[in-house]
Amino acid sequence: MFTVRPLKPTFKSYLPPLQTDVKKSLHPPVKKLEATLLPGEIVVNEVNFVRKCIGAEKSPDDLWGKLICTNFKVSFVTHEALAQPRFQVSNRLLGEHDIPLACVDQVVTVNDAKGKKKVLGSNQKLKFNPSEVILYCKDFRIVRFSFDEAGPEGAKKVCLAIAHYSRPADPQLLFGFELIGTRYLGSTEDGLNAARPTGGSQTPLFACSSDWDREIKRTGAAEWRVCSVNQGYGVSPSLPEFFVVPASLADQDLRQYAEAFSGQRLPVWCWNHPNGSALTRMADITDPLQQKRLDQRICNAIIKSHPQRGDVHKADLDKNLPSIQEVHNSLVRLRHICVMDPFEETEEKWLSSVENSQWLDYVRTFLKHSCDVVYILEGLNASVILQEEEGRDLSCVVSSLVQIMVDPHFRSLSGFQGLVQKEWVMAGHRFLDRCNHLKKSDKEESPLFLLFLDCVWQLMNQYPSAFEFTETYLALLSDSMWVPVFSTFLFNGPKHHADTMHDFLEDKKITLGEGEELCLPPVWDWSQQLSVRDQALFNNPIYVGKAAPYAHNGAVKSFRRTKHKTWSSTLRGAPPSQTGWSSTLRGTPPALARNGLQGSQGTLPRRNSLAAQLKSDLFPARDVPEGPSERFARDWFSGPADPQGLLLPQLLPSHLALWRLYFLRWVPEAVIPRGGPVTAVHAVSQLAHEIETLQSQLRRYKGPASSSSPGGGGTPRASPDGGRPPPGTPPPAAEPSRMFFKAGSLYEPSPPPPEFLSSSFPFSPVGNLCRPNLRGTPISKLLNGAKTWLSTETLAAGETA
Amino acid sequence: MEKSGSMDSLGSKRSSSRQASVDSLSSSTSTSRSDRSAQTKPPSAMSSDSVSTSAELSPELKVRPKAQIKIPNECKEEPQLLPGETVVDIAKEVMYICPFRGPLRGTVNVTNYRLFFRCMDQEPVFVLDLPLGVVSRVEKIGGASSRGDVSYGLVCKDMRNLRFAHKQSEDALKKSIFEVLMKYAFPVSNGLPIFAFEYGQVFPENGWKVYDAIAEYKRQGIPNESWRVTKANDHYELCDTYPSSLAVPVNIPDEDIRRVAAFRAKGRIPVLSWIHPESQATVTRCSQPMVGVNGKRSKEDEKYLQAIMDANAQSHKLFIFDARPSVNAAANKTKGGGYESEDAYQNAELVFLDIHNIHVMRESLRKLKEVVYPNIEEPHWLSNLESTHWLEHIKLIMAGALRIADKVESGKTSVVVHCSDGWDRTAQLTSLSMLMLDGFYRTTRGFQVLLEKEWLSFGHRFQLRIGHGDKNHTDADRSPVFVQFLDCVWQMTRQFPAAFEFNENFLVTVLDHLYSGLFGTFLCNSEQQRVKEELPKRSMSLWSFINSQLEDFSNPLYVNYSNHVLFPVVSLRHLELWVGYYVRWNPRMRPQVGGAWGGAWVKVHPFWSRGLNNVQNGSKWDRI
Repeated sequence: MFTVRPLKPTFKSYLPPLQTDVKKSLHPPVKKLEATLLPGEIVVNEVNFVRKCIGAEKSPDDLWGKLICTNFKVSFVTHEALAQPRFQVSNRLLGEHDIPLACVDQVVTVNDAKGKKKVLGSNQKLKFNPSEVILYCKDFRIVRFSFDEAGPEGAKKVCLAIAHYSRPADPQLLFGFELIGTRYLGSTEDGLNAARPTGGSQTPLFACSSDWDREIKRTGAAEWRVCSVNQGYGVSPSLPEFFVVPASLADQDLRQYAEAFSGQRLPVWCWNHPNGSALTRMADITDPLQQKRLDQRICNAIIKSHPQRGDVHKADLDKNLPSIQEVHNSLVRLRHICVMDPFEETEEKWLSSVENSQWLDYVRTFLKHSCDVVYILEGLNASVILQEEEGRDLSCVVSSLVQIMVDPHFRSLSGFQGLVQKEWVMAGHRFLDRCNHLKKSDKEESPLFLLFLDCVWQLMNQYPSAFEFTETYLALLSDSMWVPVFSTFLFNGPKHHADTMHDFLEDKKITLGEGEELCLPPVWDWSQQLSVRDQALFNNPIYVGKAAPYAHNGAVKSFRRTKHKTWSSTLRGAPPSQTGWSSTLRGTPPALARNGLQGSQGTLPRRNSLAAQLKSDLFPARDVPEGPSERFARDWFSGPADPQGLLLPQLLPSHLALWRLYFLRWVPEAVIPRGGPVTAVHAVSQLAHEIETLQSQLRRYKGPASSSSPGGGGTPRASPDGGRPPPGTPPPAAEPSRMFFKAGSLYEPSPPPPEFLSSSFPFSPVGNLCRPNLRGTPISKLLNGAKTWLSTETLAAGETA
Repeated sequence: MEKSGSMDSLGSKRSSSRQASVDSLSSSTSTSRSDRSAQTKPPSAMSSDSVSTSAELSPELKVRPKAQIKIPNECKEEPQLLPGETVVDIAKEVMYICPFRGPLRGTVNVTNYRLFFRCMDQEPVFVLDLPLGVVSRVEKIGGASSRGDVSYGLVCKDMRNLRFAHKQSEDALKKSIFEVLMKYAFPVSNGLPIFAFEYGQVFPENGWKVYDAIAEYKRQGIPNESWRVTKANDHYELCDTYPSSLAVPVNIPDEDIRRVAAFRAKGRIPVLSWIHPESQATVTRCSQPMVGVNGKRSKEDEKYLQAIMDANAQSHKLFIFDARPSVNAAANKTKGGGYESEDAYQNAELVFLDIHNIHVMRESLRKLKEVVYPNIEEPHWLSNLESTHWLEHIKLIMAGALRIADKVESGKTSVVVHCSDGWDRTAQLTSLSMLMLDGFYRTTRGFQVLLEKEWLSFGHRFQLRIGHGDKNHTDADRSPVFVQFLDCVWQMTRQFPAAFEFNENFLVTVLDHLYSGLFGTFLCNSEQQRVKEELPKRSMSLWSFINSQLEDFSNPLYVNYSNHVLFPVVSLRHLELWVGYYVRWNPRMRPQVGGAWGGAWVKVHPFWSRGLNNVQNGSKWDRI
């Protein structure tokens, strides 16, 4: 256990740093360097005259300052500015050089002179004075601080403090609690963020039954109901207090069934397809004797809730998908090749190294499996049960991907955030364990959420106009996992959240008043982290959707009842055969034949043989040439893709790409100056902004008179929320633009991308990585005959591997 | 050029072709198709739609370049013929053995331009429309089987292989349609004209006028006090693979130039390709010096390179980039060639760029074809791709060009670029570095100028490298040097999506017509040959077609970066396989993936403009 009492630094160096070969003048800073602290944040240890390494060797670009360990972050405070121009999105909770402790994955101390190094854990001793410390971060950054001019004792203490404080023994010691506790107990004018989180825009949190009710209504799931049987977590410790079940199942049935499921995780409803098929998820049935009976009952109930009494298919995720450890190991390998291996020397083997990491393979597997589920829902008009041992890991990924592919609502910003709430946070994904915030067990750590974000990115990469948000949003969301302030990522489920909160209040002896609530803000409250201007980085300028610019007159479909092609046109018959000469087409596969578009009558009589219908081996093995789901996909690909309709990812391995912004953003050699996908965003944003401006000008000139002159084809429909003001009112002030990049003045060509744009935008690798910093173009390194670069970082990585 | 009837069709083309291309797949019930446009539309307009509409097409069908398929309300089995095109044979009951769909039975038409296969059994109707110029080899596979079937394989230059079969004719004398095809697919070997000479389409634009060497020199500020345009090669007497007008240092008289020519392989003396508008640092190109095993020297050549260096006051150094690996450059000495010794050329620094020769590249592309066609092996995709070394070669070429651009821009130093003959790797390097250095070449017309100048006029041997109409498919002179160059350009468009005025479709269209034989642009090996063949008189330029409908080839995201020098990152971390070209025949791929921003924008664009209209009309739009 560690105390939250500030430890006074016991050693302070009053010696000015020695003059070294570094040309830069090394006058000790005159002004005092102080860490910027948040409420509840305290300095644990600090050491002055620390050099933050910008390159591998001593470089004149290195920054001098003070290294501070608080109970929230590792802070580096300096008066100097980086030599190179850069742009980095700034986080309100963190300074330019700060790293939250929760983001620190490994602390490696090195003594160059003695050739020693040590990976520091909690409560450990360090037998040598470190000459430098390297912090390996969970967001792929690597930061190096050198102590050659700093007091050896102070340096050691800071290192130990970082190692210790980055491994809190108890979730309550995560900084978020300190923050809200202090805010609550402290001045009330600052209490706004503590007592009542705003909830972040209109994101439904699915913590109350009304959010579920709305979702049921939105998806037209008439035969499903919200049940409150788990209020107070009396039935299942990991399900939310409110969840949705078939209307035909009574509360007492549920209570009775629950015992048979692992973690008492009953089958719960996720979402309804417009055709009435339901997506549900459940844990394994632990009691083998009950298995058959329960399966039947549940199937019956789900079929009953289907308007056409559609079939039920079960997808056994554990059998078909990689385990959480495999996913974790894969990311470890990928991290190695992306940020740790030397850049030039690994070029030749880059492609096979990426392949060997298997990350893209796993991304593909999850997308593929989700496509198969989509096929059942959409193509077979049948309901799906996602089954997984605990139902809290792989099923989070699959269920959310399925919903994103089919339902355009989840491709809007608030829809997506609601989806994460619904399928991850409330469904009891163990964020605390999977993020390994307490660094207790590496076996439980798994980057499933990142994998999910990568899958979303692949879809976004293939259908850029279908998502309201950008890849920057996904990256910032992922980074927020390591800022331990948000309720979203700190708990192993809603009950764990509630219990921890309760304990915290008790420990702090806080008694909340009537109607008063104290809770951690969800990450969706983005204003906690980002300025309004920076939040514009989230907005995709070419999004085609109801929230798209000027779609506000309400005519744009929101959640369209997708009318998809009828199957008759897709029954192409036999899968391609290389040898067969017969031109007669084989009969349609039974699955397809049975379920025509309406597919209702045929399935009813077979309710007697329900058990037989649970096809857990539904998903074809890999080498089957083309299954019905592939044919379904191929058929879909032959038509135009509607960004507001069904979206299927292209799964050819040649079409899945590495998410470069996320994985390579900290690698200086991989940065394309003034290039990268962001320059396309920049160009489109400017066009979009220009159109916005022109439209508002037009509106101003035309004024309300235009509403009385309907145009050729358009029928003027009164829309209460429509953009046009009623006659007589003055034109509204121009809405603030959604675009981060604004057009220059009108009637002038758009300016070229600014200097600071790069393929890493809005992140900057400058100063974040202990690698050789390149001046000029990357190739000048080749020209100068660069030698193989081996730094302590590589050595350290070797030791830990 | 008169604004002929084709103008209308071009005007209306956009929507109609889109319509048609979609419909040719789904059914033939469309009513919105304009027959007139179908009639006169230039053949590859089809392929031009990849940005948005081809997304709606199964790529297997999207044979480019192909004629507009005219399908009036009753289904036709014949292709819509181009002006000058005639059907030479028709065979029914032919089986196309599609690697993706299995065997398809249909009718084959062979014309003097294309093979047209149409399968009526399938719904939607399946069409394969293949310009014969794409065919590299036709081979009969196996003997007649017991069932009397004969099978033919068509190996194509555009990354696919096609297989057909039909019943053995009972009339032993009757030739198979594929033997007929063989005659027309290799017109040069059979004493027939290439179709480009018979193609009678009229375009509103005249692409032959895109490039004027003197005007381009003028754009660069040549002649100036250091550089002049010489007439020494007016009748190709100095060098028959060079253009007639050459820019050389002012103080080198024509007699000396002739002596330099004697010392450079094939007489390809160092000449100016590009000059930096501010620093006056230049990119010059030539062939290898004829040093030989004895280390021969040429005073005139040394003086000439000194003059190139002196023309740039900013630097007292000259960089000579030899594109070859140093071993290869040394090996060339035994054949009389070699490289500049630093003893002989004071102040010059020689750098080898390690780019391999045409044979290595040909082999690499052959391996790549194996990896991508017909199917991609899923678990080992990336390592298979790695084993082709294709991207590594791309990387080396781009790295070389980047070093040249970096020297000229950052180092303000003039560079001399050569390989052995100076018409393959040298063309790749100079044109790529010029693309990085000069925003003009990143416009659509500027890029055409770049190709006309660095590739066509300076004698990249297109006829030999592509083997237009030549049946000798094993010819060692064939090599995908130009494909590789366009791949590098594509890589740059990926890294700088807003810096190029043209889109991916433009690049693919250029590649399609590199082979199609429809246009005269890529015929012959040199300017001299083109003049002799009177290509501008007797054939159409590809740029006529492209510039008549620029909107299909333009990048909606283009922002004029003209003053920016682009420094791409030449790392395998950023290079990727050009799936929109190499993998496009796979029906599981939807074109324009990855580079989808431009495409998505095009799709959104009408949506926004409609939004604008509606604001104007005061109406509201109810559908996207």
